[in-house]
Amino acid sequence: MLKMTHLSKVYRTEVVETYALRDFNINVNEGEFVAVTGPSGSGKTTFLTIAGLLETFTGGQYHLDGVEVSNLNDNERSKIRNEKIGFIFQAFNLIPDLNVFDNVEVPLRYRGMKAPERKERIMNALERVGLASRAKHYPAELSGGQQQRVAIARALAGSPRLLLADEPTGNLDTQMARGVMELLEEIHREGATIVMVTHDPELAARAQRNVHIIDGQVVDLAEDPRFHQAVHAARANSPA
Amino acid sequence: MFAYYLQLGLRSLRKNPLLTLLMVLAIGCGVAASMTTYSVFRATSNNPIPQKSSQLYVPQIDNWGPESNEDNKGEPPNAMTYTDAINLMRDKRASHQTALFPAAMSIVPTDPSMLPFRETSYAWYADAFGMFDIPFLYGHAWTSGEDDSHAAVAVIGKTLNDKLFNGTNSVGKNINLNGRDYRIVGVTEKWNPEPVFYDVINTNGFDDPIQVFIPFTRAVELQTTTNGNNNCNHDPGKGWDAWIRSECVWVGFWAELPTKSEAGAYRQYLNGYSAEQQRSGRFRWAPNTRLRNVTEWLDYQKVVPQEAKVSLMVSLGFLLLCLVNTVGLLLAKFMRRSSEIGVRRALGATRKEIYIQFLIEAAAIGLAGGVVGLVLTGFGVMGVSLVFEPDIAKLATLDVSLVLLTMLVAVLATVLAAFYPTWRAAQVQPAWQLKSN
Amino acid sequence: MLQIKPILAALKRHKAGTILIAMQIALTLAIVCNAIFIIHQRLERVQRPTGMVESDLLAIQSRFVGTQETQAGPLVKADLVALRQLPGVQDAVAMNSYPLRGGGWSTGVRTDVDAKNSKAHTTQYFGDEHALGTMALKLIAGRNFRSDEIVEADPQALPDPAVIIVSKALADKMYPDGSALGKTMYIGDSKTPSTIIGIVERLQVPWNGTWSDSFYENSLIQPVQLTSAFTNYLIRAKPGQLADLVKAAPAALVKTNRMRVIPSERGVRTFAEVREYAYKGDRGMAILMGVVCLVLLGITAAGIVGLTSFWVGQRRKQIGVRRALGATKRDILSYFLTENLLIGVAGVVIGALLAVGMNLWLVTQFEMARLSVTYVLIGVVALLGLGQGATLAPAMRASRVSPVEATRSV
Repeated sequence: MLKMTHLSKVYRTEVVETYALRDFNINVNEGEFVAVTGPSGSGKTTFLTIAGLLETFTGGQYHLDGVEVSNLNDNERSKIRNEKIGFIFQAFNLIPDLNVFDNVEVPLRYRGMKAPERKERIMNALERVGLASRAKHYPAELSGGQQQRVAIARALAGSPRLLLADEPTGNLDTQMARGVMELLEEIHREGATIVMVTHDPELAARAQRNVHIIDGQVVDLAEDPRFHQAVHAARANSPA
Repeated sequence: MFAYYLQLGLRSLRKNPLLTLLMVLAIGCGVAASMTTYSVFRATSNNPIPQKSSQLYVPQIDNWGPESNEDNKGEPPNAMTYTDAINLMRDKRASHQTALFPAAMSIVPTDPSMLPFRETSYAWYADAFGMFDIPFLYGHAWTSGEDDSHAAVAVIGKTLNDKLFNGTNSVGKNINLNGRDYRIVGVTEKWNPEPVFYDVINTNGFDDPIQVFIPFTRAVELQTTTNGNNNCNHDPGKGWDAWIRSECVWVGFWAELPTKSEAGAYRQYLNGYSAEQQRSGRFRWAPNTRLRNVTEWLDYQKVVPQEAKVSLMVSLGFLLLCLVNTVGLLLAKFMRRSSEIGVRRALGATRKEIYIQFLIEAAAIGLAGGVVGLVLTGFGVMGVSLVFEPDIAKLATLDVSLVLLTMLVAVLATVLAAFYPTWRAAQVQPAWQLKSN
Repeated sequence: MLQIKPILAALKRHKAGTILIAMQIALTLAIVCNAIFIIHQRLERVQRPTGMVESDLLAIQSRFVGTQETQAGPLVKADLVALRQLPGVQDAVAMNSYPLRGGGWSTGVRTDVDAKNSKAHTTQYFGDEHALGTMALKLIAGRNFRSDEIVEADPQALPDPAVIIVSKALADKMYPDGSALGKTMYIGDSKTPSTIIGIVERLQVPWNGTWSDSFYENSLIQPVQLTSAFTNYLIRAKPGQLADLVKAAPAALVKTNRMRVIPSERGVRTFAEVREYAYKGDRGMAILMGVVCLVLLGITAAGIVGLTSFWVGQRRKQIGVRRALGATKRDILSYFLTENLLIGVAGVVIGALLAVGMNLWLVTQFEMARLSVTYVLIGVVALLGLGQGATLAPAMRASRVSPVEATRSV
């Protein structure tokens, strides 16, 4: 589904070149739920923006659903984002000027879908996240957890092949975080491929597979004792 | 604190030079346009004789009848026939009165090498000098006796006296007008009411100051035709005598009526006079008269040029638009600083202090706009002659009061425009903007 | 791609900015429509032909001094002889007035001697057989005056002319079937008919204000040499001689008789100067309104650029989100253009009403004509175009916002 080989991303300033990603290799299979972890600044967000075609990369190759994306132009990239990828952001990123219904509608609009189909998909997605009754509310009238569920509904409405989540529970309290996490797991069980960036070991532990990034490179988890300790500690503290 | 706010304001303005420039120019243009047109409007709507404008009256008598006045909404003619003017002069029902008309007088210099030349000249009665408060440099007005005797006397203006007599006292000397000698009895000071209320009909309100005055009776005796308008509803017939006996209107008339009751009495007299004319068979309609004082007369005659009014209206609309524009730009500018306001509020600034800070910033913009406006108004006033006749254009000047008004309008307007954006800015909650999105 | 509903929803939450832009557009439309209308009216008046060949024409105003005002006949005759003998002069005529001079005579005319009301209003010009040639009027029917038809007359004792020449406009007004030539008409209260012996294509009245608009091409020429002391000389110069005549002609007049006044201001003018002076106010008003329009449009455009830029800046994040969710650059561009179009449409609707209202008010206050719908339509199109143009730059900037903005915290 998602395959990066020898991928690199360099940020250049006048003085220095900084490698955000260096010889980065990862392979996510269809239907997998992968958690990407790593300390701040390790490059996990860079990985996600490149994976989501939000940014271009400097070297290497990236195949998304079998397509090499480095040669695509802006419009083609927009189209892939719109049709194949669903985004869930840490800060929800709902458009404050639009109500819940209109927010979920945004990606469908860009797909040029007819109104009846849009409506059906939106209501399905909202029902799925349990917010169908809030369709006319504005984001500011919802709690953080509800907002994130709207964002998930927005991501789901287009039936994407790949769901990218960036610290989806980062702005939520434990209670709400758990609800969102359960929702993601449910979506995964229904067959979606999910790649989730998080710094929370407990969340990471709930994924099928963990990928750890340090200094812009994937490291073998089995060889990093620090991570195992962290996972153990988290499990010990967690009441569940 | 004021200095601090001013400093903050200036720094903020420097940070967004383009936006600032835009606002300053918008206000400058708006203010300049309205001030330029206002300068013309002010000059043309001026009260030329404030101390007496409610005591001097123009009587009108309808000698044409409803048929001829149809186009004029039933108003009597704007001028008088010679017959009516002479009758009113003879009845002397006002404390002072005068008939008048612009006479075409050419001055023939005694120096044979000099060619004859024209000056603005009027024929009227001795009373006029006192009625219009005309100041004398030398000598005095002629007497009523000289009116009655059709005397060959003249009063001349200072400018003409300077030209002919090098400014020396010329009283007693002769002046040759249209080939005939007149004895100078007085020299007036500079007298230049604007608009020239005494003869709006023939000047549209603006003309060079009068330099030659001669008795009305003398001018008529010499069959001097009017240099102004002559309107007839029917063919007057042939020759001078037929003309002055005709219903053609060409004579101006003023009556001085110091009190309301005197004005009321004069109105009754005019109606009585008209009724008498009706009885004698001259008028075949009921009395239709008017009595308007200076202000009413200037208003009725629409002395303020159409151009001045239209362009003043357009300019005011223009200023309004510039203000709306400024509201928008200030809103953009202030709201862009929401986070700054949030921090300030978090650090203890009260709403009032936010208000003051932003209003001072706006006032600074207004001040700058005023300076730009002043410069543009200067150019505008110079350019007034493009639109208006020279007689009017020269009245539009950038004097101290206009300068102050320009600055005041600019600052006031900008601060006014800033109220809404400032209110919005003050609504920002303390530190609200510090939270991410 | 149009996305009107969500844009409207977003605008509802930015009322202040929306209203401000709409108001600006409305006000600008109202003012610009009326200003352009005024400009057009004024220019239309300025472009009216006088009917004369205006090049090589000189106008001199003269008043004899010390002569009885109505007894100057021989003096005028002497003047004409002197002028016509000048080397650079092709022809010359003494008249009471001429087109664009500003003052003149006017009267009602009838075709029926018993008619109570006049059929038309016309200006009266008085001149001899040289008038047509000097003014270079185009005679389209009939003939010029013969010298034996010219009479000398005191302006206060005018004879009823046996023959007259009229402008085509007047002829058509009096005889709409086009049969005016050879027919008669009655001037003023006269009971004596005057026969139309010639029709000139066009001859404007001396006035150019609004009051004469209803009859500005109704003119008649009477074969009369006035004996008044006040005269206007029209002089047609031979090609290339006009510049010399400006000095030579008044000098010749003074030489003939120095007891006269030729005003130092506007006493001697080429017809180009006459025209410029007559239309100074009209042209000035047109220039003023033009400048106002331009500055107004500039300010409105700048205001739209300013507010849209602000909006773009405020919505960078949401633009990033939209891009992340699959919006193309064109989608973003069209979002802002459509947004502006919606505001613009609201603005022009209000503006059109305002423009018409403003015009109706101006009509009641001043002698102004009704605004035609064409101006409003032109204004509407112009302002919508202006709005789109002004939005383009900020919208382009918006479309360049990277989708990665979506992942950045504020």
